[in-house]
Amino acid sequence: MSRTGPERASSAAGAAPMIDIRHVRKQFDVRGGGEALVLDDINLSIAANQFLSIVGRSGCGKTTLLNIIAGLDAASGGEVLIAGRRVVGPGQGQGMVFQQHALFPWLTALENVVFGARSLPLAKAEKIDRARELLQLVGLEASAGKYPREMSGGMQQRIAIARALALDPDILLMDEPFGALDELTRIEMQQELLRIWEARRKTVVFITHSIGEALTLSDRVILLAPHPGRVARDIAIDLPRPRSRTDRRFNEFYEQIWSGLSS
Amino acid sequence: MRQQLIQALVALLLIAAILLGVEFGVREGYLKAYEFPPASRIAQGFVELTTVGFPTGVTIWTHTFVTVMRILKGYVAAIVIAVPLGLLIGAVPVLDKMTAPLIVFFRSVATLSLLPLAIVWFGAGELTKVILIGYGCFWVMLSNVIAGVKYVDPALIRAARSFRVSGWTLYREVVLPAALPRMFAGARVALGVGFMVIVGAEMIGTIQGLGALIMEARSFYRSEITVIGMLVIGVLGFLISSGLAAFERLLLPWGGGSSEASR
Amino acid sequence: MRSGSRMGDAMWGLAGILIVLAAWELATRLGAIDPTIFPGPIAAIRSAAQRLPASVFLDNMAWSLFRVVGGFILGAVAGTVIGFAAGWYRGFGYFARPLIELLRPIPPLAWIPLAIIWFGLGEPSKFFIVFLGAFFPIVTSAYHGITHVDPSLIRASRSFGLKGLGMLFHVGIPASAPDLATGLRIGWGLSFGVLVAAELIAADRGLGFMIMNERNSGGSVSVIIVGILLIGLLNLVTDAALAALIQRWIGRWHGA
Repeated sequence: MSRTGPERASSAAGAAPMIDIRHVRKQFDVRGGGEALVLDDINLSIAANQFLSIVGRSGCGKTTLLNIIAGLDAASGGEVLIAGRRVVGPGQGQGMVFQQHALFPWLTALENVVFGARSLPLAKAEKIDRARELLQLVGLEASAGKYPREMSGGMQQRIAIARALALDPDILLMDEPFGALDELTRIEMQQELLRIWEARRKTVVFITHSIGEALTLSDRVILLAPHPGRVARDIAIDLPRPRSRTDRRFNEFYEQIWSGLSS
Repeated sequence: MRQQLIQALVALLLIAAILLGVEFGVREGYLKAYEFPPASRIAQGFVELTTVGFPTGVTIWTHTFVTVMRILKGYVAAIVIAVPLGLLIGAVPVLDKMTAPLIVFFRSVATLSLLPLAIVWFGAGELTKVILIGYGCFWVMLSNVIAGVKYVDPALIRAARSFRVSGWTLYREVVLPAALPRMFAGARVALGVGFMVIVGAEMIGTIQGLGALIMEARSFYRSEITVIGMLVIGVLGFLISSGLAAFERLLLPWGGGSSEASR
Repeated sequence: MRSGSRMGDAMWGLAGILIVLAAWELATRLGAIDPTIFPGPIAAIRSAAQRLPASVFLDNMAWSLFRVVGGFILGAVAGTVIGFAAGWYRGFGYFARPLIELLRPIPPLAWIPLAIIWFGLGEPSKFFIVFLGAFFPIVTSAYHGITHVDPSLIRASRSFGLKGLGMLFHVGIPASAPDLATGLRIGWGLSFGVLVAAELIAADRGLGFMIMNERNSGGSVSVIIVGILLIGLLNLVTDAALAALIQRWIGRWHGA
């Protein structure tokens, strides 16, 4: 397994990685005795500002791995380091965007983003200012007073991204964030995410089912094989942005990933 | 719109037909006025109830007021006790496991079956009626508060944890608002139970209240008064539950309301 | 949130029950509550057994069960048929809906005086009250179920040439079964509560009558307490049986 990590111009080669996943293992107790091994010896180094996608079939442990990086689940073995510090819980520079937006239905768009800044030692007014700025970043300052159910799926996910940015995290962890959106909204959101990523310079770990989505967005794609979950391929995507789905090399990458998933 | 118009028209015609049919049937001697009180008798009875009263001196307003006050006392007491207790039990898994079978059992005990025991303990007066209403409302409310707290969408809790919100703050700002719709649904069902119980409780040992009115009227062969009492109970129940629904929309503007409740 | 082992849950539940029983027993032994009006569990069962032979309890229980099952079946059949018909045939719905909506806010117990006027003091008036207790929740849920069948199922079955009664029986009714099942459970609970009340107010046998008569004739509090516990247990057991039946009926595909 060759580590062909694509060093982005912004991250000097050889510098300490932003996220360092070392020998991470996860097993669950199964009802009626026994254990199920979900992740087996995962090792990954993710450079600062890198956009990395994890692709794999359902049940390969993608979400579990993301939750371990987020500090929401504990690994059964191994460790995750963020900027050299061992992850013991959330709030060590991780911001999370969930599959079904997970916005609080009783809070308005603005209040949801303010909630994201809850644990910051700022005055209420400062948090609101920051939230307004983030709403502006995702292009929804006009919808600040709307409740989640009054917004479209795409808008909800934008608010969720703004909320995840509220703690000004170094890392954005995204669990199939656009999976529930229709294809057109999905493409719009991909462009939107790239724009935000360019503007804010985050390290992104992005989980998706969609090979096309992973190729459109990422510097690097990890294929996760199931039973137990392990890294099957690690592919650097050195295509210039914006990327075209009709590009010859785009399609070569597509074939490469597809063969990796079906083998 | 057109369908609603047809529906309203049919409903009006149907009611008119039934009223006229009974009126005609009694006049022609096909129906006994005692068994099927015609609308004209009901109207006379209503005038009597508002002026002279039945039994003499107790007007329909007094009956209604007495009944409403009994329901309110029992209902409010039940909610005031059930909400904090349910919030506690729902938050502490061990307490929940220990109380679950007890709550199921106490809910299975038909509230009115406690009437003889309550009379032995508290006499046949006001306290017994209020306590019975309180008992019926309490268990319904309690189990819905517990369920509301227990079945909060886990995605919302994960989202909050990803912003380092935990402990008491998590409970107050995420679990509590997420449980509110379920709690309101429980409050609505509990009110219905209160109405059920009061009618039975008032049929014994009192001459005031709508339940007493309809039972007394029967003993004096005044079935038209019985029917008026039933109609007033129906209208009252309808008005109060609509009022509660409006209150709920006011308090939960995000539209989390009308979730299912368990009885 | 995390589902622990079922055994563990049952043990905790048992512990809860034992704690309450022990507290009750202790409270009477230590004199915290007066055992003449609130005997402990052991004393209550012993003196109830002395006062009334088991056959009396069983006889009254049999009468209560007979009434509640009979009235419930009547209410369930009428509620299901009328609810489905009102939702499936628009014309019938125009007539049935306003009547149901008008009568529904009136609690079943408020019908007791009219039931006595119409049917006398015998069994039919009890059946009528229980019938009302079962009918309204069941008719509402059947109507709700049949009017909320997934339209794509209707279109799919139409594309296979189903229509009319065939569509009702092969698509409409199965699709609304989960809603109907909820209504049946609520209806059963309500039937039970309503019957006990009706027996308290006007009856000469049945568990409700038994406990009320015991108090009116200045009998034993123990019998009242045991009677109440019996009523609760009977409701619990029969409801669990109904739930198991429903589970066998639709559990495999509905997953409830």
